Amino acid sequence: MSAAGFTGALTVIGAPGGTIHLADGAVTAIDTPWSPSAEVVLLHSGRVPEADWEAAFTAAAVARDQLRAELLRRGLLGEGELEALLRTALADGMFAFAAGFVDSCRTEESPPGHPLPLEPAADASWLVTEALRRLDVLAAFPGPPLRPRDRVLSVPGAVRPGAFLGGGRDEILAAADGRRTSRDLAFALGRGLYVTMLQLARMRADGLIASVAPGLSPASDGEDQAEAASGGATVSGLPRRQKDRPAPPARAEDLPSRAARSVPRMLRPRSEGPSRPRDTR
Amino acid sequence: MEGVRTVALIDIASGMVVRSAGDQDPGFPALAASVADEARAAREALGPRQPAGELDEIAAATTSRLHLSKILRDRPGEGFLLFVDMDRARANIALASRQVGQLASAVLA
Repeated sequence: MSAAGFTGALTVIGAPGGTIHLADGAVTAIDTPWSPSAEVVLLHSGRVPEADWEAAFTAAAVARDQLRAELLRRGLLGEGELEALLRTALADGMFAFAAGFVDSCRTEESPPGHPLPLEPAADASWLVTEALRRLDVLAAFPGPPLRPRDRVLSVPGAVRPGAFLGGGRDEILAAADGRRTSRDLAFALGRGLYVTMLQLARMRADGLIASVAPGLSPASDGEDQAEAASGGATVSGLPRRQKDRPAPPARAEDLPSRAARSVPRMLRPRSEGPSRPRDTR
Repeated sequence: MEGVRTVALIDIASGMVVRSAGDQDPGFPALAASVADEARAAREALGPRQPAGELDEIAAATTSRLHLSKILRDRPGEGFLLFVDMDRARANIALASRQVGQLASAVLA
């Protein structure tokens, strides 16, 4: 698809679903419900006041102009900073696809129309390589790999009251209530999904937070918390056997392997040209 | 700047190379991630409230190279690094630090 110079949208069906926007074979934007967009990062981090963003958005819509141009014209962001943030958000979107699974894809040719595209657009193979690097980094942490939909819980008593950890960890500890997932924390704190999961993996290794797999209730009693904090392992280091749950993967890197393989595949050049719309299952 | 081999903008939080220019060794993405780790470790060493002030620059020298990493502050998250890889035989670290400092503000403008 990249080599064919495709322009349009690649709709991804899976978890997460989403859309990859391409122009001349390069990626200009990625929309997925698992990774915060540049808009979310800018607003939730407080980098751009919401009122200023709204004013720029409205002005761009009225003038039928690009939001990018309006943000720069109003001095809300520098051109270099905006490009860096969009590129970072794009990499985060591709990582979200790699961390989940792709069921099928569908292409639809259309003129570029994303309100905030990356300029110059990103090379798809670079995005895939970066996503795989991120999966490798997370898989290197001890215990089962953290997943975007795992809920996270601050371990009670792990930090003495009033202590300040810095590095964004205090905000995570305050927000990790056992109901929010890694993905929820990323959106709430205005940080990327990967960055949030990386910090959570470090904090889990330090015994500050515990993760709760999807479908389980937040660890509320001592046994559950101890198990969650130990990554579900027994004292012998073997995975704990759990009734009615499939066996965990033998190795941490096995878990995202399906997604990791599917991401490069969906952006692979095809022998025939794209049609509209087409199921690439 | 004399002796510059590679210049890169690195996202500190993720270790990702945002943009780069110049010669790149095959292991450059791994080097960039290590430089970002180094910046985070240096921040940790300064303490949570950073009584000595915020981290501003990291300089590292090998037998053949000089690495300068300038922190670009006031950005969402942990910010970005302007990383410069130079030939040690051709670069002057004090002069390079001064020049990188002067250029840094223009990178994200």
